[in-house]
Amino acid sequence: MDYTWQFNVVWRNFDVLLQGAWLTFQLGVFAFAGGTLVGLIGAAIKTYGPLPARLLVDVYVVFITNTPALIQIYFLYFGLPEVGVRWSSEACVLIGLTLNAGAYLTLILRAGFLSVRTTEMEAGETLGMSRLQQIRYIVVPHIAKSIYPALANFFIVVLVMGTSVGALIGVDELTGTAINLSTVNYRWLEYFTVTAGLYVVLTLVASVGLALLGRWAFRVKARIV
Amino acid sequence: MPHLAVSGVHANYGALEVLHGISFDVDRGGIVSLVGPSGSGKSTVLRTLVGLTRATRGTVEIDGDVIDYRSARAIRAARDRMAIVFQQYNLFQNMTVLRNCTLAPVKIKRRPRSEVEAEARDLLALVGLADKADAYPDELSGGQQQRVAIARALALRPDILLLDEVTSALDPELVGEVLDTIRRLSDEGMTMLLVSHEMGFVREVSNAVVFMDAGRVVETGSPAQIFDAPRSDRARDFFGKVLRH
Ligand SMILES: Nc1ncnc2c1ncn2[C@@H]1O[C@H](COP(=O)(O)OP(=O)(O)O)[C@@H](O)[C@H]1O
Ligand SMILES: [Mg+2]
Repeated sequence: MDYTWQFNVVWRNFDVLLQGAWLTFQLGVFAFAGGTLVGLIGAAIKTYGPLPARLLVDVYVVFITNTPALIQIYFLYFGLPEVGVRWSSEACVLIGLTLNAGAYLTLILRAGFLSVRTTEMEAGETLGMSRLQQIRYIVVPHIAKSIYPALANFFIVVLVMGTSVGALIGVDELTGTAINLSTVNYRWLEYFTVTAGLYVVLTLVASVGLALLGRWAFRVKARIV
Repeated sequence: MPHLAVSGVHANYGALEVLHGISFDVDRGGIVSLVGPSGSGKSTVLRTLVGLTRATRGTVEIDGDVIDYRSARAIRAARDRMAIVFQQYNLFQNMTVLRNCTLAPVKIKRRPRSEVEAEARDLLALVGLADKADAYPDELSGGQQQRVAIARALALRPDILLLDEVTSALDPELVGEVLDTIRRLSDEGMTMLLVSHEMGFVREVSNAVVFMDAGRVVETGSPAQIFDAPRSDRARDFFGKVLRH
């Protein structure tokens, strides 16, 4: 064990790694935002929708949560071109992750929908609110508050684990960039040490940001780290 | 013409009929109280009036206009005129007291925010909570929350206020403040339909008392007549029990 650590080459390419981290961050944020929207619609349908629509949501959730994210993204990237649908690798990761997160978030948000006090919704109804207005003004804020910690944790999962799948179809997010650079310079150990550090920084930034957002928007008294 | 006229109303929960033809009138500016044993259908009457429970037969008229509960639009129009306050207040927990009161007028009725807020602050002052506008419901006592619920209902400028046992979830020392609020509204001429077990209060404020049992109106009369000289055995039994303690 007389390995000589040489970080110089890593620092020389540090800006490239940072670009990768930035792309990871963007993919994570957009996939999570999209997934939250999908999950909100899915959970609303599961709770208030007609039976056929509820079954459709069930099929979606079962298929997505019981197959690997990698297969879903391969399906979009390698499978769809066979039928003439060709998306860039970035688009495939973004769409794949959004649909993947959407299924898990349907389950997470569903728990929130079920915990809403129906009496508050009845009060809203008698004050003249439509079902959609009740969801917007009563259900969503309630859910945001009651399951905010679960949501924030899931965002970290999407940000770190979800986006790194992109490396396998050539997206230059953080993991992909680290692999590319290592293959050129053969400094695997150094690159992945620094990359791991960058992931930790990303998640810390995200955690603090989410905790502050939670406090400000939903009165959630989450611990910062 | 009565302000609110209920005639022959039936209502079900699922297959089970719980109201078997309810009739009574409330005059403009009057207070009518529904009293009777638990489970006799008092809450269901109020829920039916605001369309939370569907009437299967019978009619409800406001100022002589029959409400068509099959039409969502007619139900909305009815809810513009009748506001209900629930036993458990049912405030929106995620909003401040002020926003609880302003949400519906601003977002649903599209009235200007500044005007609605000024009015809501006046209403909060009316119920004695001017200083709690920025508090959240979970920071208030039950009596305070109940008074916010009344202010929230009033913010929609209803003609008729339906109050369902608004004091029964409250500690005894908080009951008085809510009853004072109701008295004040009565002085201002609000038409009210009251469900209450506060018999002393009912007797004091009501123009008429409707005694219900098992989904039917057993008798209707002035407070003195119903409390002091009930004609039915059911009413005599019931008041014998409740008035003794
Ligand atoms: N959501 C419901 N589902 C089924 N039955 C109900 C429901 N709510 C009330 N009931 C029944 O309807 C009857 C009248 O209830 P309610 O109107 O709440 O009476 P009260 O307010 O006089 O105590 C009772 O027998 C009660 O058990
Ligand atoms: Mg009741």
